[in-house]
Amino acid sequence: MRSKITQILTLLLAFVVHVSFAQEKTITGKVTDETGMPLPGVNIVVKGTSTGTQTDFDGNYSITAGVGQVLQFSYVGMATAEQTIGASNTISIQMAEDAQALEEVVVVAYGTQTKQRLVQSVSIVNTEDIEDIPAVSPQELLQGQASGVQMVNSSGILGSAPVIKIRGVASINAGGRPLVVVDGVPLNDEALSSGQGGTALNPLADINPNDIASFSVLKDAAAAAIYGSRGANGVVLIQTKSGRQGEKTKVTLDINSSWSEVTDTFDMMSADQYRQFLVSTGQAGSVDDLPQGSYNWPENVVRTGFSKDLNFSIAGGSEKTTFYAGFTHKDQEGFIVGNNLTRFSGRINLTHQATDWLKVGANLGVTENNLDRVGADNSTFAPLTSAYLQTPWVEPYDENGNFVNTGFIANVIAIEALDINDSKTFRTTGNIFGEIKLLEELTYKMDFGIDRILLEEFQRSFEINSPEGFASDFVAQQNKHVFTNSLNYDTTFGEVHDFSAVVGMTYEQTEIRETSMDATGFLSDKQINIVSASTPGETLNRSRGNRLVGYFGRFNYAYDNKYIVEGSLRRDGSSRFGVNNRYGTFWAVGGAWVLSQEKFMQDVNWINNLKIRGNYGVSGNDRIGDFASRERYTGGRDDGDPSSGILDGNYNGVSGLRLLDPGNPNLRWEKSTSYDIGFEVSLLNNRISLNVDYYRKKTSDLILNVTIPQTNGGISSILDNLGEMENKGVDIDLNTVNIQTENFSWSTSLNLGFNKNKVLSLPGASEDSEGRRFVAGTLSQRAIEGHSVNTFYLIRYKGVNSETGNAEWLDKDGNVTTTPTTNDRVIAGDANPDFVGGLRNTLKYKNWDLNFFFNFSYGNDIFIDGLRFAENPFSFNKRTKLLNIWEAPGDNAYLPSPESSTFGVFNQRSTAQLRDGSYARLKNLTLGYSLPSEFLENSFISGVRFYATANNIWTIKDSDLKGIDPEVSDRGFSNVRQGESFFTPPQSKTYLIGARITF
Amino acid sequence: MKKYSIYIIMTALLFMSACDDRLDFDPKDDLTREQVYADRAGALGALTGIYSIGQIGNVFNGTLQLFGEWQSDNIQFVGSFPTFQEVSRYTTLADNTSISALWRDNWRAIGQANEVITFIPEMEDPDFTSDEREKAIAEAKFLRALLYFNMSNLFGHPFQVNGGNNLSIPLVTEPFDINDIKFPSRATLNDIHALIETDLTEAIPDLDNSDNARATKAAAQALLARLYLYREEFQKAAGMANEVINNSSFSLASDYNFYNTTANEFLFTLVNSETDSQTSNESFSGLTNPTPAGRGDAPFSQNLLDAYGEEEGDLRYSELIQIGADAAGNESVFTTKFPDAINNSGNAPVIRITEMYLTRAEANFRAGTSIGAAPLDDINMLRERADLGALASVDLDIILNERRKELAFEGHRRMDLLRNGMNLRREGMNNVAESALGANKTIFPIPVREVDINPSLEQNPGY
Repeated sequence: MRSKITQILTLLLAFVVHVSFAQEKTITGKVTDETGMPLPGVNIVVKGTSTGTQTDFDGNYSITAGVGQVLQFSYVGMATAEQTIGASNTISIQMAEDAQALEEVVVVAYGTQTKQRLVQSVSIVNTEDIEDIPAVSPQELLQGQASGVQMVNSSGILGSAPVIKIRGVASINAGGRPLVVVDGVPLNDEALSSGQGGTALNPLADINPNDIASFSVLKDAAAAAIYGSRGANGVVLIQTKSGRQGEKTKVTLDINSSWSEVTDTFDMMSADQYRQFLVSTGQAGSVDDLPQGSYNWPENVVRTGFSKDLNFSIAGGSEKTTFYAGFTHKDQEGFIVGNNLTRFSGRINLTHQATDWLKVGANLGVTENNLDRVGADNSTFAPLTSAYLQTPWVEPYDENGNFVNTGFIANVIAIEALDINDSKTFRTTGNIFGEIKLLEELTYKMDFGIDRILLEEFQRSFEINSPEGFASDFVAQQNKHVFTNSLNYDTTFGEVHDFSAVVGMTYEQTEIRETSMDATGFLSDKQINIVSASTPGETLNRSRGNRLVGYFGRFNYAYDNKYIVEGSLRRDGSSRFGVNNRYGTFWAVGGAWVLSQEKFMQDVNWINNLKIRGNYGVSGNDRIGDFASRERYTGGRDDGDPSSGILDGNYNGVSGLRLLDPGNPNLRWEKSTSYDIGFEVSLLNNRISLNVDYYRKKTSDLILNVTIPQTNGGISSILDNLGEMENKGVDIDLNTVNIQTENFSWSTSLNLGFNKNKVLSLPGASEDSEGRRFVAGTLSQRAIEGHSVNTFYLIRYKGVNSETGNAEWLDKDGNVTTTPTTNDRVIAGDANPDFVGGLRNTLKYKNWDLNFFFNFSYGNDIFIDGLRFAENPFSFNKRTKLLNIWEAPGDNAYLPSPESSTFGVFNQRSTAQLRDGSYARLKNLTLGYSLPSEFLENSFISGVRFYATANNIWTIKDSDLKGIDPEVSDRGFSNVRQGESFFTPPQSKTYLIGARITF
Repeated sequence: MKKYSIYIIMTALLFMSACDDRLDFDPKDDLTREQVYADRAGALGALTGIYSIGQIGNVFNGTLQLFGEWQSDNIQFVGSFPTFQEVSRYTTLADNTSISALWRDNWRAIGQANEVITFIPEMEDPDFTSDEREKAIAEAKFLRALLYFNMSNLFGHPFQVNGGNNLSIPLVTEPFDINDIKFPSRATLNDIHALIETDLTEAIPDLDNSDNARATKAAAQALLARLYLYREEFQKAAGMANEVINNSSFSLASDYNFYNTTANEFLFTLVNSETDSQTSNESFSGLTNPTPAGRGDAPFSQNLLDAYGEEEGDLRYSELIQIGADAAGNESVFTTKFPDAINNSGNAPVIRITEMYLTRAEANFRAGTSIGAAPLDDINMLRERADLGALASVDLDIILNERRKELAFEGHRRMDLLRNGMNLRREGMNNVAESALGANKTIFPIPVREVDINPSLEQNPGY
């Protein structure tokens, strides 16, 4: 398949190489708007030819054309202007705003729509918002960019998977991530890689962020219902870059280098402090009896990582053909030793107007990621975890400077210096499409897309770290294809009636195959692969997959651009659900009223645009895994996670079977019903624009892991459709142009998303002592009826009594106790923020620009589970806070008296590990300078921009969070395990300098 | 133009995938319950699956057994892992995740045993002979008895506390049914013991002694002997132990090379291999071997070293130890009973015949009988193998001391102390007072997860 696509691409590419020889004379000029501000990026085409150019940063252009030919100027939001070439060599024009004001076109599901006619809540993130953010994966670009989108980085490990929620989490046990669609192809974002203690690698880390032109975030049912069974968590549409018809070929080269370092690390005891601690707490007789070594592990597993990034792209188009080709090479060092990423990525996007009725095109992106991984979170091989816990007198080297094995808390310095832990992925995503214009108003589109991943994870641990050596190899391949047919109808009749509609069907199939093996018994560290091992370990070969068929339709009718109604419908069938419940129907209706188009508003000059809109609809969620509805007895090995206690069905060479999953043949779709009402207003010559949306989303038939007593055959839970949950809130986007003069401008954009999550009912779930039904997510948090899905449920810690030296807690009734039990747990916090958002300020002075961007989260609690270990009075190294030991009455101590019965349990699970997780972070600070055009006048270079960027350099957070990064997510995506950290590596601080040159 | 034909093609394309069978995507590697219990192969596979679950460290492969060794006096736990450490420090909390995993895994095994016992008689496969069925059910009953026995020792106080009337674990004998989820309350220890006795009594006639990697008749009898000993029914215990000793299929090994083999010292040994191993790190091999191959968590306690040190030349010490680095970095003495901490392939010695000699001796001593042999003769026989001189007389302390030295690290010590009313810790060790028979933290909490969702489950005092 891939080679065929390559052939087609080669052919298409042949069309593109197109040189014009019709030189006559050079026309120059400047394009400005009505206020006289230069307009960069205006498209200028010699009408009827393939010759075209764009204005530079100062609005200047230069084009060759003949006398009598017509220059066509076009720019988003401006009326297209034409000028016939006469005797003069200079044509400067002032472009007027389009009478239809904001005729901005936005990408929506299965098509585009003008912003004016949108009845949906869609947030757009454009190239200029994201181009300065150095990102490994696409999701990173979304943080703080759009209202109602909460993005939490899971860790500072390269390639780690962030958690994204759109308007809160709409599910409890089904997946909570939005659907991601790249150029119309819904991607699989199921993790194929192993977790290695923390989260699996970001499944979208091999989509190159540099290729992304824009995001459309579909937030409400009206926008997402057409994705039916997968729309309930919202949809992120990604458009990759493309050339433009008639655009002069533009070459862009962007090079940057960056340095990254760690933001926050725990303050752990030194060897001397640790020895003294043991003596002070009676665990050792004297300092001299203890081992005398000393090593600062936390300091030695972090570093300043140096990274280089090169992006090269070429884009352009003739009248019939557009193209974009991009190439990226990234060579990145993380701030944790042994964490490196090398990426090669290429993309080519083409369209060709073959005849007046046939258009064909192809988008193809390939990425190779080579990641040198490190463990994270809950792993003794994770550099940061083990560095915190390692006894500080243990040294990584012996007296001769050779590595030593440090036992269960592994020598992570030796592991990172010696062992191999590589994860390589090769991903191909793309589609080819054809559009046939059947009638002037009716277009048929056929689209065939693929998403293919090959992953290989190879690990080799050498003699010193694993006696006799160890190797494992895991290969996974995902093969997905999507076939979509649609008919688009678009017409205007009677001057004022605009009608558009789309109907279609789509079929998707995904298959994943996995193979792994491991072995021990290597003669020499020089032998790398399993072929050299003497003792084969466990082998695995398995497959899974799913199929989905969907039929969809949507219409949009606008009367005089004032009154707009829209409806959409989708019927989906999925192999994931029980035979009786495979199909589900999803729909939405909406309307909008553009008040500013009304006659009575024509005289209100200070209002440029005023629209109110509302919609209501139903969308679904199918993120339950491929075989969740199936009763399954399994034979061989099930998964590689020994902590699950699941090994295999076999014994002593005899094949066996055991119950893996009881399944539920009646499992059906989870449905989210939501409404959204909003208004959009632009004031004072569009210098102030405000969007406000209120929404309420109710999820019913919640797909719930109903926990049952394990006395039922060791089964922990049964998946069922039970219960209801609600998210309601307000999204606000405010954009202002604060100052606009010839040389200086300052604009601000603010987005805020308020969301309140509440579990409405959980019939069938267990009841707590207050009679509230709940589903436990972790030992610290629960979804509780009447409360948030991520409610912390903990014993309340009071602190050390300064008189008695005992640690004290509160019992259920609020009385002080020194012997709390789990019966004393109460609702203690919520992992969901009251609001999240972003604030961006852009200042421009002549050729300088300054951009600073904060993202923030307010009102969420976080549970730092790792503190139970890092503050364990007996084993492991400890935080220096534990040096504050109670010795005599009156001491205001952190640690209880070593004589107290509470000494060994003061660190037990309680609010002692709970923190206020609110923060505001200076996510990005960029200073740019563009060379004035006169510098470049006689060169082939059309623009040069130098920029310097700093990321995450400043964070405002609670004083209790010293050494703790507020962005946490313990082991991934589970909706009921949010806001917890078990040694989650912190975010990195990055400093970057770069240059962008266009030709 | 050709547009109208395109129209037709396109409409056809649009609905070409409208048939439902395209939506089928079944698991390629798994069976449904109906398929499993449809024929002999499937049912025997389900039986094998119980042994496979037994290979989890928490079931027969070491975690459960070693918990008791460091809760008592055989192991000085030096590992760092808090959930293990809590048990050794008598600070166990109800949310101990190692204990909740142990609970889950044992119920998983019990659940599968319940299935096999219930479904095999209902099966229609004519190729599945009644002899084969009886044998399979007997194996499952033996395993169920062993699982209940191990669990009841940990989650409730022993028979000696309240004559077996105190709360033990729930008693569940029906297979899991998705349409009938049960919320059982805790049964008394006597109820659990009654089930164990019934299961074993019913299993014994249908079992044979052909393969000690699976349930044998002798193993079932030995477990019954152990049950009677724990219940202080000494004559029955001695009688049952005597039957096992007289079984010609098994005999006392002449030296200590039988570990990690299927020698006929073993009445039942769980066979592990490199490709089908113990849970790494947390089982017999991982915990009891020194670093770097093992975790080095579980060296000999000083008290156990002193016990062996009472007499020079005890082969049970000199033949079965290794010196290496423990988890705290100190040089310590470790057992060699569970080799191969690299691949965790060492076998688990579930029940071996030596225990029967010790049981016969102890039961005869307590009952004042000499069923099969006099206590002194049994003890001297074992001492001879250990290259120690014959004693002139025995008392209970001597018998228990010999039992300790024979069975150290195999998971007997905790119950041997408790059922004799002795503290788990010896004078001079930590937590002596907290380790008395009947003290709260000598038994495990019911996992908080279970108590949270099942209101019928009463938590143990102190948790």
